[in-house]
Amino acid sequence: MTRTDALIITASDQVPGRTVFKRFPIPRNFGVSPGSRIETGRTWPAPEGATRIKRFEIYRYNPDSGDNPHLDTFEVDLDACGPMVLDALIWIKNTIDPTLTFRRSCREGICGSCAMNMDGTNWLACTKFIEETDAPARIYPLANMRVIKDLVPDLSHVFAQYEMIEPWLQAKTLAPDRERLQAPEDREKLNGYYECILCFCCTSGCPSHWWNGDRFLGPAVLLQAWRWLIDSRDEATGKRLDRLEDPFRLYRCHTILNCTRTCPKGLNPGKAIAEIKKMIAERRN
Amino acid sequence: MERLSSEDSRPLSPNIQIYRPQLTSVLSIANRITGVFLSACAVVLVIWLVAAASGPEGYSRFNGLIGSWPGQILLLAATFAFFLHICGGIRHLVWDTVHGFELRQIYASGWLVVAASVGLTLASWLTSFLIAGQS
Amino acid sequence: MDRYRFRSPLGRAQGLGSAKAGFGHWWTERVTAVALMPLSVWFAASLIAHSGSGYEAFIGWLGSPVTAVLMILLLIALFWHAALGLQVVIEDYVHSGAKIGALLATRFVCFALATAGIVAALRVVIGVWAAI
Repeated sequence: MTRTDALIITASDQVPGRTVFKRFPIPRNFGVSPGSRIETGRTWPAPEGATRIKRFEIYRYNPDSGDNPHLDTFEVDLDACGPMVLDALIWIKNTIDPTLTFRRSCREGICGSCAMNMDGTNWLACTKFIEETDAPARIYPLANMRVIKDLVPDLSHVFAQYEMIEPWLQAKTLAPDRERLQAPEDREKLNGYYECILCFCCTSGCPSHWWNGDRFLGPAVLLQAWRWLIDSRDEATGKRLDRLEDPFRLYRCHTILNCTRTCPKGLNPGKAIAEIKKMIAERRN
Repeated sequence: MERLSSEDSRPLSPNIQIYRPQLTSVLSIANRITGVFLSACAVVLVIWLVAAASGPEGYSRFNGLIGSWPGQILLLAATFAFFLHICGGIRHLVWDTVHGFELRQIYASGWLVVAASVGLTLASWLTSFLIAGQS
Repeated sequence: MDRYRFRSPLGRAQGLGSAKAGFGHWWTERVTAVALMPLSVWFAASLIAHSGSGYEAFIGWLGSPVTAVLMILLLIALFWHAALGLQVVIEDYVHSGAKIGALLATRFVCFALATAGIVAALRVVIGVWAAI
């Protein structure tokens, strides 16, 4: 990850050094339902003897309390935890507040569990350096998701959308005794698409999915849809395109490109969606 | 554990309230805002045509309104909106051919759209003043 | 907008199935956009070129057949593109029952304005032609 002052961003892990607007100039609780309003929480001070302290503002929600979500401020001893935001979260859970809840697994940016919104953009906590976060660091769950508890989003809807595109090989041709043949140049076409870890950072950062997420599939699912559309071994291309060609499922994408900007694996969902649209245009002309 | 669709009791995590504005989303919403604004300006265009067709009195009344301070500000805004929307539109058409999707290209083309829009707005107004001054 | 209670996540995601359409709107928006590029640039350039000119000179230009044809093409392309663009905006943000009414109203207003503009342009060209 790098902090850059450059006007031209070249990779999704670049964090802008200067910011004019950290958020859109709208009221803090604009359009928020009463049950989702975020209230002020408490401050948890660092333990005695901590020298390098950094404040983390973290979204908290306890479904058992019946209260609204609130923002807690934690003082983290940077000398006592690792360099990544996930290390800070684990340290908080171990030493300050054991009720802090978040998903995590591989701690190396490959499982997608710890996807969350840090300083206004979605990324994986385990690959985000603490020194590249703002002061105080603002940790929210993935944007526009139902919150189960603290930083844990309910992903059942987005996974249902993923299931809907039938992300498996569909071929009536009987399987040969060896692997189904695929030329190296055709295998290359899957590069940049098969690597998706389904963290849903992109979908959660897409304004179209915010406003129409019940019907719009979102960049993660559409990127996987493309992965199956250009797999040369797949025989259901027409059927897949039929299912995708819908004013809401596909065409809510207006090429906003927040998805490509935020992908923690450096993938390009915006491009995949443009390819789908182009494929649909090809079969119409 | 199966969660039933009618259960909205869980809070929704904030989206536009906390998400960082980036060149991607800001230029996209600017394209939409200028498009809606230009649709309103299209109404003014039709009024202008009707005024022109109705004779010199109607036409000079329209010109008087446009020549006033609020009219000129509207015209300046419309010019900038027009250039931003058309340059942004060209960027969109290039994307439709599946070119220019690398982050470097997205940002370079984005800043180019902003610079070109400002430049074209200034150039068109300057040219207009020069021509009006000569007649 | 949940039609049913107790719908599974997959059922909710499926909705009413794919409409199997959507390309037409996307394509026409781009066709009208491409048409608008030369037409709108011509229009803006003509306005700039006629800065400060009097009514007679202006009407002489507006009433010429070439200008009339281009102006009518501009009005068609402009209001078609605007109608499609505004339709997308309404579909994005309006989810209540008012959506259909808003879509109809927008489309009708665009049609009406385009017609009014074309009639005005024709009046000018006929007026200039009759005066010759």
